[in-house]
Amino acid sequence: MRLRNLSALFMAAALAGQAPQLRKAEARPVNDSLPGDPALLRVIEPAQKEIESGFGKVIGQAPDGLFKGRFGEENLLGYWIADAMRERASALGGGPVKFAFTNGGGVRTSLKPGPVRVGDIFEVMPFENEMIVVELTGAEVIGVIRESLQRRGGEPCSGVRVELSGPVQKPILKVTWADGSLILPGETVRVVTSDYLYGGGDGIPSLRKGRKPNTTGLTIRQALLDAVQELTRAGRTLGAPPAGRYKITPELFQAMRDRKLGPIEGE
Amino acid sequence: MDRRAFLASSALVLAPRLRAEAAQTSRITLLHTNDTHSRIEPFPPGMGNLTGRGGIARRSTLVHQLRKELGSVLLLDAGDTFQGTPYYNQYKGKLDYQLMSLVGYDAATLGNHDFDSGVEALLEAMTEARFPFVNCNFDCAGAPALAKRLHPWLVREFQGLKVGLTGVGVAFKNLVSPRNHQGITWRDPYESLKPVVRHLREKEKVDMVVVLSHLGHDLRGDTHDDLRMPGQVPGIDAIIGGHSHTFLEEPVRVSTGLGTTVIFQVGFGGVNLGRMDFTLSRGELKAVTGQALGVAPSPISS
Repeated sequence: MRLRNLSALFMAAALAGQAPQLRKAEARPVNDSLPGDPALLRVIEPAQKEIESGFGKVIGQAPDGLFKGRFGEENLLGYWIADAMRERASALGGGPVKFAFTNGGGVRTSLKPGPVRVGDIFEVMPFENEMIVVELTGAEVIGVIRESLQRRGGEPCSGVRVELSGPVQKPILKVTWADGSLILPGETVRVVTSDYLYGGGDGIPSLRKGRKPNTTGLTIRQALLDAVQELTRAGRTLGAPPAGRYKITPELFQAMRDRKLGPIEGE
Repeated sequence: MDRRAFLASSALVLAPRLRAEAAQTSRITLLHTNDTHSRIEPFPPGMGNLTGRGGIARRSTLVHQLRKELGSVLLLDAGDTFQGTPYYNQYKGKLDYQLMSLVGYDAATLGNHDFDSGVEALLEAMTEARFPFVNCNFDCAGAPALAKRLHPWLVREFQGLKVGLTGVGVAFKNLVSPRNHQGITWRDPYESLKPVVRHLREKEKVDMVVVLSHLGHDLRGDTHDDLRMPGQVPGIDAIIGGHSHTFLEEPVRVSTGLGTTVIFQVGFGGVNLGRMDFTLSRGELKAVTGQALGVAPSPISS
């Protein structure tokens, strides 16, 4: 008995000594140097056709259209997108998402008045950008707004109200939550944006400070498709969110356009 | 006389009874993907440096080539097969698993996004999967139908080499809405792995333990990840990672007092196929003499 235990021990020692050795490893690129496997293509092609035919499907109505506005006008379509991102991200769990920030440059076209088709949403948002939820402090949320005004003339967002006033050389920024309550610099809030912006696209440094990134796997476009369908299910049509999220004096707008805006001060 | 020949001859002298075994070297290749995210077609235009890359039909061609060339191959996936293109919205993962079956996957694990349409939809998609799923840290007591599809471990035997496979998934909190993982409780992945790896080594007597991990490559100590797994769970030879979409050109080696673990992950969207070739020399034996007589490791090529 004792001997058997001993041999088992030796056996274990012997096994422990035999580790498999890695001889070769690589990340093999999958690209157009490889032909597609016909067995798979036979399955993919009809599915692809089905998906494409789905583009014509009417999923809602926007009787007045929804427009991204020209420079100097508020991007109401962008607001609607930011609202949809915030609502959808909040519904994913993990607590409310207080702020959504996206880029007007990613909103490629406006929605014409009338029926909204799947393909229309693809035209508004052709990119595959994914929503990503991060944690920021209140001070960083204000930083995001400040940097986007300074560098890009403001971007569509949801959850805040922004006022820019004062002289061109020394503009003053005031940001509150959408209900008018104060943003506490030290409070931690959950924020939704795109993987593109979080990854440094369009250069908003405060956004890149986001902690605990949660890749949602949901594209912004999917959140929009879902939002339109939800409205339709509720018997509602798609309309513009109220204007007034950004209040900026005409002089300051002009200065932004001419890139003559002084460094933005304020909270 | 070079080192290899010297060691071989020593082995003959020291342990003549092991001669036959000493000559045996078994090989296995692990091919793997992670976070393919319903990226069935190659990335479309407008996706920067990803445009034109990937595509599951091309991946299939590559896998078939490598299988033909290498023989002993395991094709594995580390989860998040679902979500990311209209194919998922239309087919809820059924098409993904159907195509993976055609490619010839041997096993996969589950990522957080594989729960995006809930457990019922996942089970429905799994009806298309002609390969098993491994996971040891989802307690499916409240979801018996899923419990039947999830193996805590699997053993695959090749010529002279036995591979133990298991898998771990990331915590649901903040990633999967509670209604989508009803009946499933997440357990600590390191603690879940320990008895499984022990069982595979001691009872199943596998030569090699491979973990399919959907934890993420490096969470910098915030929570469980692949880089810290070897220090917590002894006995793992290879970790095939996912979740963090980390593009590695070659595996990371983590050495602990208990051995070396190689950790690999190949980005996302099927842009790359990971490949790791392992050999196991039976001649290494021998603890009879207390010496490990091995073939000197060759450098890893990439």
